Amino acid sequence: MALFPLQANFRGDFVVMLVPVDDGDSMSIVADKVAQHAVGLRVAEKSAAKCVYYDGRELPSAMTVAQSGIAPMDWIEVAYAE
Amino acid sequence: MPKLQRRDYYDTARDMNWAFSYVSEDEVFPEELSKSFGIHGEQWWGWDEPYKLTYREYVHNQAGKDDGIYSIRSTIARSNLYDNLDAGWKSAIKAHYGAIPVPEYFASIGEARMARFGRAAAWRNMAAFGTLDECRHGQAQIYFPYCLLGKDPQFDWAHKAMHTNEWGVIAARSLFDDMFTANDAVSTAIQLTFTFETGFTNLQFLGMASDALHVGDIEFGALISSIQTDEASHSQQGEPTLKIMINNGRKAEAQKMVDQMFWRSWKLFALLTGISMDYYTPLESRTMSFKEFMQDWICRQFMDQFKDLGMNVPWYWEEHFLPELDWVHHAYHMGVWFWRPTVWWNPDAGVSAAERDWLEQKYPGWNDRFGKKWDVIGDNVRTGQIEKTYPATLPIVCNCCHIPICSPSIGKAPRITTHNGRKLNFCCEVCEWVWKSQPERYDTHLSIVDRFLAGHIQPPTLEGALQYMGITPDVAGNDAQAYAWNGASRLAAE
Repeated sequence: MALFPLQANFRGDFVVMLVPVDDGDSMSIVADKVAQHAVGLRVAEKSAAKCVYYDGRELPSAMTVAQSGIAPMDWIEVAYAE
Repeated sequence: MPKLQRRDYYDTARDMNWAFSYVSEDEVFPEELSKSFGIHGEQWWGWDEPYKLTYREYVHNQAGKDDGIYSIRSTIARSNLYDNLDAGWKSAIKAHYGAIPVPEYFASIGEARMARFGRAAAWRNMAAFGTLDECRHGQAQIYFPYCLLGKDPQFDWAHKAMHTNEWGVIAARSLFDDMFTANDAVSTAIQLTFTFETGFTNLQFLGMASDALHVGDIEFGALISSIQTDEASHSQQGEPTLKIMINNGRKAEAQKMVDQMFWRSWKLFALLTGISMDYYTPLESRTMSFKEFMQDWICRQFMDQFKDLGMNVPWYWEEHFLPELDWVHHAYHMGVWFWRPTVWWNPDAGVSAAERDWLEQKYPGWNDRFGKKWDVIGDNVRTGQIEKTYPATLPIVCNCCHIPICSPSIGKAPRITTHNGRKLNFCCEVCEWVWKSQPERYDTHLSIVDRFLAGHIQPPTLEGALQYMGITPDVAGNDAQAYAWNGASRLAAE
């Protein structure tokens, strides 16, 4: 378990943010950690699942940061599932 | 003894060029301070400009200008004019005063470098006046806000800002050091006096002077109008320098210097002036939108002048610059407002119902791009959830312009690249191009996020960041209108 800084934005927001996560976090936790800096603050809340996109693909919600191949300060996007 | 007419002695006094015999050209004009671009000695002696002044005339003119603005200042000091100004306008001038006065001294360093290392006597003469101009601008623009300190401690940042690590200041200092303080004489003439002053300073000072008079801020309007009269003359150093480069086969180098600094200037200008014009200036006092000013002063007047000299429109014009006119300063504004404790002025949200109508009219699609986000913010204000209108983390900033990486409405990846093992982020292709054009010049400069990750900011929290930036509770920004915009919006909705 180690602190893991990411660049992230929530789809529909206007700015890329520094979001600290843990390398043991699953993608669903990562999505929540990103969302807490945008959803309900500048992006309207929706009753829908959230997905993490990295390098052009959606990552499984149970996959951990350590398993994902994401490097520190890589960029991810989080979005509500369509 | 009969007195000589000015025309009989002027050229002799101004054009004292000579070929060196006891020392080499390189010893007099070292490349690092006076970069020749391969154009030798006497080729520079044809340098000429239209503002022909003697020192006596210069002193007479400047004394008159200073008499004018300081007497306006002392007259207005006895009135309550400042107290009656719009809160948003007060924020516009606080932002200006923090970002501009000390860099005027930086510009004085650049002018002094040209006064010594400019490669023609006429140029050195002109730059000597430019050096004095910039001292006058620095002094006046620090003195005027100093007189307002009793009314608001945020005015202290006119002097303090540039000596801090506040994030906007890092962005401004990076630009101004690149352009003014650490530049060779020839590049300074092209980048500072031609690109920045002929293009952007005109806009900043004329646009804001016009708005100042409309809002009733006679003091600020008189001050910056007076400064602009100096810029109009010493900014002329760029054009003759550019002509000599073009005439000696160095157009490509000149074009690159203009393209680089135009872009760097644009980003900071959108941050500072864009939000002041379209959000902080009271709606009833706006003469034009920021985009309309840009289209008139930059896209038409400046570019016409540029093309008349035989130069090309920058390569990024159509694909990057023109599209940003529609959105970038709106994104910067939202960021400055949301991260408002990190600036030394009180951001005016500027999104009442009437203001939103104006924004949508001037920038079709604004409601969809930005209005929806302001709806969420407004809901939080209305329901008393103010804590949701404050940030809990840092935005990522660009390693070139040092401004947060924004996008118009949908997610846009920063341009991430690695240089000598260091991961860098750029907001766009043009910032990446500027940085990579001179990596040795920019590589050691750390962004505020680099500093945070390197452990320079302790504790690593927002409070630690505010302390690092020099922001104290008495100056930390808050909503300029105490959220009144939201009430207006609510009433309109009802």
